[in-house]
Amino acid sequence: MAAIAPRARADSTSSREYQVKAAFLYNFIQFVDWPEEKLADSNESIIIGIIGRDPFGNAFESVKDKKVKGRDVVIKRFKSFEELEKSTEKDKTKSDQEIETLTKCHLLFICSSERRNLKKIINTVKDYDVLTVSEMKGFLEAGGIINWFVEEKKLRFEINITAAERAKLKIRSKLLRLAKRIVEENTTRENKGAESSWKARRTNYACFAKYDSKI
Amino acid sequence: MPVLRNMTVKYKLVLIIMLACITALVLAGAAFIGWERRVFRNNMVQLVSVQAEMIAENCKAALAFHDAEDAKKTLSALHVEPSIVFGGVYTEDNKLFAAYYRDSAARDVHPDEFQESGFSFDDGFLSVFRPVVLGGEVIGRVCLRSDMSPMYAMLKRNTSIIIAVLLFSSFVAFLMSSRLQNVISRPILSLAEVAKAVSEEKDYSTRAVKHSNDEIGLLIDAFNEMLEQIQRRDVELVDAKEKLEVRVEERTAELTTANEQLTQEIAVRKKVEEQLRKAEEKYRTQFEGALDAIVVADVETGIIIDCNPATTRLVGREKSELVGKHQRILHPPEKVEGEFSKTFKQHLKEKQGQSLETEVITKTGERIDVAITASLIEIGGRKVLQGIFRDITENKRAEQRQAQLLKQMEKTNQELKDFAYIVSHDLKAPLRGINTLANWISTDYADKLDDDGREQMHLLVNRVDRMHNLIDGILQYSRVGRVKEEKVVVNLNELVSEVIDMLAPPESISITVENKLPTIECEQTHIIQVFQNLLSNAIKYMDKPDGWIKIGCIEENGFWKFSVADNGPGIEEKYFEKIFQIFQTLTRRDELESTGIGLSLVRKIVEAYDGKVWVESKPGEGSTFFFTLPKQEIGVKYEKLEANIVS
Repeated sequence: MAAIAPRARADSTSSREYQVKAAFLYNFIQFVDWPEEKLADSNESIIIGIIGRDPFGNAFESVKDKKVKGRDVVIKRFKSFEELEKSTEKDKTKSDQEIETLTKCHLLFICSSERRNLKKIINTVKDYDVLTVSEMKGFLEAGGIINWFVEEKKLRFEINITAAERAKLKIRSKLLRLAKRIVEENTTRENKGAESSWKARRTNYACFAKYDSKI
Repeated sequence: MPVLRNMTVKYKLVLIIMLACITALVLAGAAFIGWERRVFRNNMVQLVSVQAEMIAENCKAALAFHDAEDAKKTLSALHVEPSIVFGGVYTEDNKLFAAYYRDSAARDVHPDEFQESGFSFDDGFLSVFRPVVLGGEVIGRVCLRSDMSPMYAMLKRNTSIIIAVLLFSSFVAFLMSSRLQNVISRPILSLAEVAKAVSEEKDYSTRAVKHSNDEIGLLIDAFNEMLEQIQRRDVELVDAKEKLEVRVEERTAELTTANEQLTQEIAVRKKVEEQLRKAEEKYRTQFEGALDAIVVADVETGIIIDCNPATTRLVGREKSELVGKHQRILHPPEKVEGEFSKTFKQHLKEKQGQSLETEVITKTGERIDVAITASLIEIGGRKVLQGIFRDITENKRAEQRQAQLLKQMEKTNQELKDFAYIVSHDLKAPLRGINTLANWISTDYADKLDDDGREQMHLLVNRVDRMHNLIDGILQYSRVGRVKEEKVVVNLNELVSEVIDMLAPPESISITVENKLPTIECEQTHIIQVFQNLLSNAIKYMDKPDGWIKIGCIEENGFWKFSVADNGPGIEEKYFEKIFQIFQTLTRRDELESTGIGLSLVRKIVEAYDGKVWVESKPGEGSTFFFTLPKQEIGVKYEKLEANIVS
């Protein structure tokens, strides 16, 4: 994969980091099943929303033509939630549309710049089967589903499965297995990789059943 | 190969069957093993592919999220399968992401070795490649490397088993075929033995026994049939051989005879050739040495081919001056008519073998009279005219002299004839006169004469008669040889009987012709005179009451030998010659009147014919007069003689 020199503000290493993260986002989608009503039409594109100060820049360039689960992927960028609120005041219809679009996202990446609005954002989308992904501390506690963090120079992630259940999302065991930390609200455990929790396994029997070698 | 060809039927059959069986078994075994190996391999590939696939599936997330440890954990499950020596997950840019090694000896697979087909065999290892696909995209590769050695070991074992089975089956096949080949080979071998026996002992009456009804049975039938025929032929052959021997003997005899004949013929041929050579030599000698000139000229051209030394002596020209020139060079110019001389032409035309008188001209122009005898001969296959030139100058002169003498003789002869005529006439005249006178006297003066007188007158007349006869005799004698009559063909039988009639012998004398007398060519008068004289003598002098005269003729030495034999008084030997002289008589004229010229006449006549006359006699026992005349071949043509010369 040729690294395209990003026009982003980030320097080369971070742009590469975000390229990887962009790929990860795509991959997350691969290992997550949305409920039927969210992806009814087979032609419907998967929408990745990015709210806040976009750190990706043009990291999506390299992956933008990829199809995930046979669908196109659309990146939607949203300004900060504050601005949304502000726009609501000015133009309700437009902001309604914006919010609607927000809720239509399948995956919503909340930038770290939106720390303060975190709860509000999550609240907004909580009933709309959205996979929330971020890279800030305490994201899972706030109700986020997948959170990135760097450990020993390696990019790791953690998953809040309760939040996922709440969002009616089924996360494949393969993905769960890879998560460094699995958070079940009311409990937190270290994930031991392949020796994942019974729960995780049980939850994902259905995934196994739906094993499609074409993926 | 001669080895194969010379093997016995038994071995051949067994060999054939064994070859077939072994080939079949080997093929089956090989096919089986090959098939097994293939199946095995496929199974292996399948198995390992499944494993790789499962690994790929389980490593999806690890690859997607760069979790090498997770991938490694997944890979470590491979230790359950001992044959897998290496398992590796590669990122999409073919970097080794996570790996499993069975032991320290195992090595990883270089990305270059990745095969599109999904697997590859090398060095006894099977490498299987499987892509890790996420969302329709290849995000990495899984490669598993499996050790094939267990599988190969198993194959080997199986192969050994199969080989063992093969050997055992071959052995069984060998046993079976050894036994069963008898079905085919025994009848063949027995037939072969019969054939061998027949050929060794030449006993064509043996037959082979038929066991089966297949092609071998057919062969045996045919074989027996053949023997049948051979037997028959054998008999015929012996027969023919005997006949042949007989024919050969005959032929050999024929050949021997022919050979002998041939040898003889060759001997004869050689002799003839020798004779020819000698003849040619002789000719050559004669040619060269002849006194007469011999010239040989070509018939067509008249060019002289050869001449002898005598020619040179004759015409004064050397051989070199003559050979190559036309033969007219020999003759004076006026004798040459056209291209050839008259004589040459004449000779060519008619007068071959005959002598032609002409002239030759010498180098100096002298003319010489010659007689040329020419003949057509063949020398060396070429027809040539050979002319013999005889210098007849002498001859001519002699001829002339002869002519002269002849003329003189004729004159003399004529004179004699005249003389004889005159004499006889003139002498006879007075005799006639005397006779007449004596008769007158004896008649007129018969009474005047006494007995003595009459006696004397009688004697006188007698003497006159005698004189008359003598004169006639002389005339006759002289006439013989002068008066020439024509020679005629005379049948002596007729002539003699006429003479006998004329003589009218008395009945006391019988004249017989003993055998058939020939027919000769002569002057008739002569021969009449001969027989007349001899017979009249025999009659005249017969002194016996039963007189006989026998006339005979035999052929002796080319002469007719006539004989006139009588049983008269005979003649004394001392008179054998005398009696043939003229005027000689044996008895006095007083006793027997005889002129005495009869026998001399006979001698003259016979000797004129080149014959002889003589007498054989014993006094008292009669005489036999013999005379010979040369035997002539009446009617001989001179042309025949000529022909011989020409050819």
